[in-house]
Formats: sequence, structure tokens, C-alpha cells
Amino acid sequence: MCGIIGYIGFREAKDVIIDGLKRLDYRGYDSAGIGIIDDKLQVFKEVGEITNLEKEIPLIKGDIGIGHTRWGTHGKVNKENAHPQISPNRKIIVVHNGIIENFKKLKEELENKGHTFTSQTDTEVIAHLLEEHYEGNLEAAVFTTLKQIQGAYAIVVMCEDEPETLVGARKESPLILGVGDNENFIASDIPALLKYTNRVIYLDEGELCVITKKSIHVFDENKKEVTKKEDIITWNVKDAEKSGFPHFMLKEIFDQPDAINQALRGRVSEIKQTINFPEEVEKLLTNGTDSIHIVACGTSYYAGLAGKYIIEQTCKIPVIVETASEYRFFSTRNKSSLVIAITQSGETSDTLAALREAKHSGCKTLAITNVIGSTATRITDGYILTQSGPEIGVAATKTFTSQIIILLLTALKIASIKNTLGSNDIYDYILRLKKLPREVRQILDNSNEIKRIAKQIKDSKSVFFIGRGINYPLSLEGALKLKEISYIHAEGFAAGELKHGPFALLTKDTPVVAIATNDSTYNKILANISEIKARGPQVIAIADEHDVEIEKHADFVLRFPSNSTLLSCVPITVILQLLAYHVANLRNCSIDKPRNLAKSVTVE
Amino acid sequence: MKAVILAAGEGKRLRPFTETMPKVMLPVANKPVLEYVFDAARNCGIDEIVVVVGYKKEVIMEYFKNYKGIKITYVIQDKQLGTAHALLQAKNKLNDSFIALSGDNIIDQNSISKLINAKSEYCILIKEHPHPSKYGVVFIEKTILKELVEKPKEELGKFISTGIYKLPYEVFDEIEELTSQGIYTLSSVIQSTVEKNKTINTILADLWMDIVYPWDLISVNEAMIHHFPASTSGVIEKGVTMKGAVSIGKDTTIYSGCYIVGPVIIGSGCEIGPNACIFPSTTIGNNSSIRPFCEIRNSIIMEDVHINSSSYISHSIIAKGNIIGNNFSNITGEATIETEGEFKKIKNIGTMIGEDCTIGNNVVVESGIIIGRRCEIEPLKKISKNIPSESKVM
Repeated sequence: MCGIIGYIGFREAKDVIIDGLKRLDYRGYDSAGIGIIDDKLQVFKEVGEITNLEKEIPLIKGDIGIGHTRWGTHGKVNKENAHPQISPNRKIIVVHNGIIENFKKLKEELENKGHTFTSQTDTEVIAHLLEEHYEGNLEAAVFTTLKQIQGAYAIVVMCEDEPETLVGARKESPLILGVGDNENFIASDIPALLKYTNRVIYLDEGELCVITKKSIHVFDENKKEVTKKEDIITWNVKDAEKSGFPHFMLKEIFDQPDAINQALRGRVSEIKQTINFPEEVEKLLTNGTDSIHIVACGTSYYAGLAGKYIIEQTCKIPVIVETASEYRFFSTRNKSSLVIAITQSGETSDTLAALREAKHSGCKTLAITNVIGSTATRITDGYILTQSGPEIGVAATKTFTSQIIILLLTALKIASIKNTLGSNDIYDYILRLKKLPREVRQILDNSNEIKRIAKQIKDSKSVFFIGRGINYPLSLEGALKLKEISYIHAEGFAAGELKHGPFALLTKDTPVVAIATNDSTYNKILANISEIKARGPQVIAIADEHDVEIEKHADFVLRFPSNSTLLSCVPITVILQLLAYHVANLRNCSIDKPRNLAKSVTVE
Repeated sequence: MKAVILAAGEGKRLRPFTETMPKVMLPVANKPVLEYVFDAARNCGIDEIVVVVGYKKEVIMEYFKNYKGIKITYVIQDKQLGTAHALLQAKNKLNDSFIALSGDNIIDQNSISKLINAKSEYCILIKEHPHPSKYGVVFIEKTILKELVEKPKEELGKFISTGIYKLPYEVFDEIEELTSQGIYTLSSVIQSTVEKNKTINTILADLWMDIVYPWDLISVNEAMIHHFPASTSGVIEKGVTMKGAVSIGKDTTIYSGCYIVGPVIIGSGCEIGPNACIFPSTTIGNNSSIRPFCEIRNSIIMEDVHINSSSYISHSIIAKGNIIGNNFSNITGEATIETEGEFKKIKNIGTMIGEDCTIGNNVVVESGIIIGRRCEIEPLKKISKNIPSESKVM
């Protein structure tokens, strides 16, 4: 099976065709090729993925072209056998999906006439026949050629002498037309052109079409013109990629057990009890980590704040976390401190600016990012990839938990270098890290409970999130998730800070989400909950599964599996994400594309 | 030609393994059953697959998101009423003759090719089976289907319907008529087509395997793992002995002193050993670890499983996310298992453990025992009864 596409119009044909081929690559991708008329006809082909082809194409203009992604049937996978196939005089090119059954016979006949063939494909026969029959009218040549061939085909043909016309035809293989304004498309399948138009015409068996910028004419096998009806496609490309989930955000929340495994993959050895990073990263962590500076924006900043608690507790070195956009306004720089930048896209311009600033003042830099080859990976001394896969929902979910995992691994690595944790403690952390995916699965399993509680806050005007210690950055993240997708005003506070001001805003209509973990902060947070209850609001507690005491204090309790405090931040985050998601869903918000927000912020 | 693959069912008889994934996603030789069906369809020239999904559809759609070489279209069956009803959901994606397959059987491409190339409009793939009474039994004259009897009470005939058909588009008229009367199975549709004197040709399938009960997974895994080529990546330390076809995924480490006899498949991101023995027909999923001095034979260990030192596991299934303590062992032997009010004698069966269980040190499980999902078993217990999901053994 192969994918084909043709374009004629006002855009750069190359861009339209490459993009279309990428969307057709489910149809096969062992080699690909493209032909464009830019004064003269030019053809480029490459073996392998479409990106290989994309790299090979020089800058060319041209608003008419055809392309092909191949899944070989006749002949080996090589450049010669890739499409488009070219006629001997190099004027006519053809892309083809299907199998020409009588090609051997036709090939022999042509060889007897003196034709030499350069490929093993059945398609080349079509190119040769077209040249034989061409007398100044491509359409007529295609008609005559098709009469001679037997088998299945969908073809698109282009001729250097007629740079205003594409001719297509189909029998047994699919071919559709996309109708635009001052441009037209022809392709194997709808996703290839849906980005540009949703008006399509389905070609029927044996039909042939002639398209120009402004017109589409369709003929039946007897050269009689037929009138075709346009269909409007209502689904969009993205629907196919959500794997049956209603939103990308929910899909990405459910991706997390796997994303955690990906972040741990190859870095943690249970038997050797070690944490491994690439050499240059290990060198950065070994030398000069008297103090650490973390710079980041948005969700990544909160991951950094959590990182502060993690690193300080395990490595006993000071960590300063800075909002990247403010970093340049702080005037003291400690050259011996390591600057860690956290950015999902690796292109966040505020974070990049801070990184450059840090380099300029002589600091060593390390990036934690999800995108290999991004600017952040190029301008730093070392980088660690979160390996979480693409994240499409604007609200960061799986990349946040992966960033925390990477920070945990970094902390454990530094701790083992600095000997601030015994090998037994490190081993214990490794085993607990390995248990995280299943703990997250357990939370995802109980998401109905979270949905039920989401009903309690869906009509609130304002929601508070509180926590102490590492749970403080989590409450900030919980509040951010809620406000960015549900548009409910939400604030995260360090629980002890409430009485220094925010209490003034607390009314009985302000639900409070309190994170209570069984550690040194537990009694204090219970006291905070009591203070809050005294003022009337409902309290939703997030607590350890074995915590009985909490029932006496909170109105609702969401449970997470017991683990060490530093690690339970991952399951707690998942609870907060699901809570925000369900609230937004109950309020019918546009979850994957919240108003006024963009996925990567590349302006300062 | 297009193919419709029915993949909406839950597979209740395969619980606890189907509590979190549809039956078609159960792994055989580290690959979902459905992928074998997709591969067979793609390799014999089918140009579009229409998959009818329902129960836990996200698991299927997510896994096959990047499946290459063939177009996949999903249609959703909200209520799992029956096979004919499922097929009906795919009606408006079809316009001509098509192949209908079930996603939970393993089938080879040769059999599908025979079906595609058959001359007659209606065709059915059949297979000889030692216990036909569990299936639709077919009665044939020469190669023409005479009668299809669904799950006969007595042991009749020897050929069964594999549930794989070539059907013309007109079959939807019959399906619509029957479903409107509340008859939802495809075999009733076929029987009624026979009664209307349409000719239905039968073709013998080459390779066809069905998974009905959890223990079937072990034998199907054993049969399919032989087709898997040996390939090794990852780190294999000095002093590891490997014989036969052993496949090891990337980022996996096999520590010194391990003895591995193929066919064995080990996924990526695993840690095995030191000094662990893995014997034939064992598959180990991604990110699992097998600690020192373990012996594992003829078993399916899925992803994210941790098996601690000196454990013995044979003829068993350990689902995703299990944490198993030191000195765990299962007894392998003959077992009588009760299912659907019937007693079945199974030879050579170990234990079957659902997802995310935590099993303490020195636990012994008797043969044929099924432990549900998310169970917790305290150390030093002997398990001789089935344990339902989410229970705790103290």
C-alpha cells in the first residue's frame, strides 16, 4: 500500500506535499519522493522516513507538485524504485498506488520498441506509455494509457509542458479530491488535505479527473464528463490521535504510568543500586555542586520548587529556585553553582534567556527537557531528557511528573556522589521509584471518586490549595491546573501562610484542598485544617490510604498509596490533575485549548 | 478488500486479566493477540482495517496509534450485544465484499489469503477441534456449509467455525433483519443465510488458535514463541549462558551467571539476575526485574513485574505490576478448575495472578489457583483457594 498526494494552487507545493505525506505515512513509509515544477520539472527521492526526504530537498519554489510514500510491492527498497517514476524524456512523472497486473507484458513490448527501464517497478511502465501517447494533451495520453493497463491503480500525473494541470485516475485504489479556493488537492486519504480544506470529492471507480488551480473536471471511462457532489468533512485530524479519550489532557494523565517508566528507563539499576546519566551530566553533578540554581516558568517552575525540597533534603546543599523571567534581575551570580533549567519544549524563551545569562556569568548549565535537539539542549553543558513523548494538551501533566522523577534521580545521584545518603537509603528509594507506576495506576483506577468530589467545587468562585513542605509546590501546581483549564480562581498557599493574609478571603463558599502526608508536617496541617473549618469552608483532604485520623477533620478525603513523602508527590499530583480535569469537564471548558494560552511560550 | 475486526468484547472468562484491558490485548509472545490479526491482514493485501471497539477501547487505540502499513478505522460498539450487532456498526465504512475476523484469535495470513481469493461470495474458515461443543459446529457436504450449530449440548461433528468469514455487502440486510428481532450473533445470521439456500463455501484454516480461559494463554504463548527470531540488545554481562532463540530488548541488563534456554523473550528495560535461570517458552514484559537465583519456566511474566530472590515460577501467568517476595513458589501439576459451573481438568498448570498484587516472602501457591487483581498476600502463606480481586490474605 502506498500514499499519494498532488497539489496545485498558491502555496509552496513542497510544504503541502511533505506535510501530506507525513499524514499518509500509515500507508507505508519505506521510501518517499516528490516532483515539483519550478520553471523546469525536478524530482527528489529518498529511502526511509519522510523526514529523510525533507532534509534532502533544496529550497525550491513551485506551486504544483506530486508526492508519494511507498510500501514496496514490486522491486527492492531503493531510490530508483521510489516514486515519482519518470518518463525517458524526463518530461512526465507519475505516482501510483496499486498493482499493474499486465506490466511484464507491457514492459516487454516497450523494450522491443527500444525503451530501457531504470527501475523494477510496475509504475515505470505507465511513465513510458504516457510518453509514447503524449501529443500535447496530457489528459488524452492518460486516457489512452489507462486503456492498456490492467490491475488496480490510483495515479496522479504531471507534465513539464503543462504546468497548470494535474491528471488523476483511480480503479480499485482510493483517490479523493480536496476542493479549495484558488487551489486544489488530490490524495489517497482525507487526513493529507484536511489541514487546508474540508470540502472533498470522492472519485468513483474508473473515473479520471483533470484539475487546475481554479477548476476540477471529472470524466468517466468513456470520456464523458460527470458532475460530482462535494462532501463536507466534519471530523478533524486530531480526533484520530486521541486514542478514544475525550481530551488529550485525560489521555496524557493516563499516559503517566508509562511516562514514569520511560523516565526511569536505563537510568536506574535495581541490582547494581546505581543511578546512571550520560557522562557529561554526571561530570556536571560531580564537579561544583556546592549549590544549585533552578530556573523555569509555569508548571516547570513548580516542578523546580518541588526539586528544591527533594535536593535539599537528600543532598544537603542549598537550592535556589527562580522564575526564569525574573532571573536576570537578580544581580548576584555564584559561579560555582550549577544552573538547572527546566523546560518541557526546550524553547521557552524566558528560560533560554536565563540560561544565556547564566552561561555569560560563567555558571555551568544543565537542562531538563522533553525535546531532543531543542535550543535548550544545544546551549547547555549537559541535558537530561524526560522521555515523556509528545504532550499536546496545553496544561502540562505527564511532563510535570516526569520532571519530578528526573529531579529525584538527579538528587539521588548527587546524594550518592556526596555520600549524603547511605547506599541502603538509595536502594530503598530505587525500589520505591519502581513502585510508582503501579501507584499511579491505582489512582487512575479510582478516578470516579475524584469525579464525585469535583462536583463539590465545580460551582465555586474560588478554591484554595494548601500544603506544607514539598506539598506546598504541589498545592501551587494543583491551583495552576484548576485555574488554567476550568477558569475558576484558585490559589496555592503554604499552609502556614494562610493566617498572614489569605484568611481574609476565606468564606464558607471557598473550598480548600489540603494535602496531608504522614511526615513531620502532619500535625501542623491538621491544625491548619481545623482553623479553616472554624471559618466554614468545606475541606477536601488528600491523604495517605492508611490515615484514619484525617476523617475527623476533613469533609472529603482522597487517598494515595503509602510511600515515602518525597515520592508520594507523584501520585498526589495525579490526583490534583484529575480533580482539575473533572471540574473543567463538568463546567464544559475547552480543556485542551484553554483561552489565551499556548503550549510553548516562545516570546518573552 | 477491507477487513472488519471485532475487538469490542470484554472476555469475562479471562478475568482477572481482562479487568483492565480488552481480551484482544492480552499478550502472546510479548505482543497483543490483536496485533497478530493486524499483521496477517496487512501482509495478505487487505487495504483497510475497520476495527469495532467497545470495552476499554482506549487501550487498543493507544497501542495501535503508530501501527504502520495499513489504514485503520475505528467504529464504536457501545453495548456488547453480540457479534452480528458488532459487525453492523461497521456497515457504513464498507461498500463491498469484506473479510470479518475476530480480534481474539490468532490466525495466519495464508488462511486469510485463501479466503480473499475464494470465488464464492460467502465463505467461512473452519478448523478441526478436539472439543467442538464449545464452539459453533459446522456440518458440511463437500465444501458447502449445510448447518451451523452453536455450542451443541452433545459432542457432535469435528469441525468448528473459526468466526472468520468473507461476506458480501448484502449480508447486512440479513443482519439488520435479525438484530431487529433481537438476534445478535453472527452464527445465527450465517445459519439463516444457509436456510435461505445461499451457498456458503468452507475453507480449512491452517493456523488458528483461540483463547477462552486464562490457562489457554500459556499454551498459545508456547506455540507462538517459536516463531519469534532471536535478537539481543541491551547489556549482557560476562558469564551469561544463552542457548536457543533468545530475544532481549534494549536497555535490559542480564547479569553474570544467568542461564537462559530459548525460546525466551525478554522485553526492554528489564534486569535479570545475577544467577537466574529462565527456561523455554517464557516471555518477560518490559521494565520487569527478576532477582538472583530465580527459576522461571514456561510462563508469561508481563510488564513492570518484580520477582525477588530465589523464587520458582512455572506454567504460570503473572500480570502487570506484581511485586513478588523472596522464595515465592508455585506448585505445578494437574488441577481441576471450576468455571461456569463445570469442572475442567488441566494438566500441568501453575498459578495465574492478576495485575498489581503484592505477595510476601515465602508464599506458596497451589496449582491452578487464580489470584485476582490488586490482592495483598502476607508472608508465609499457602494459597490453596482462588482469591477474588482486591482482597487481602492475612
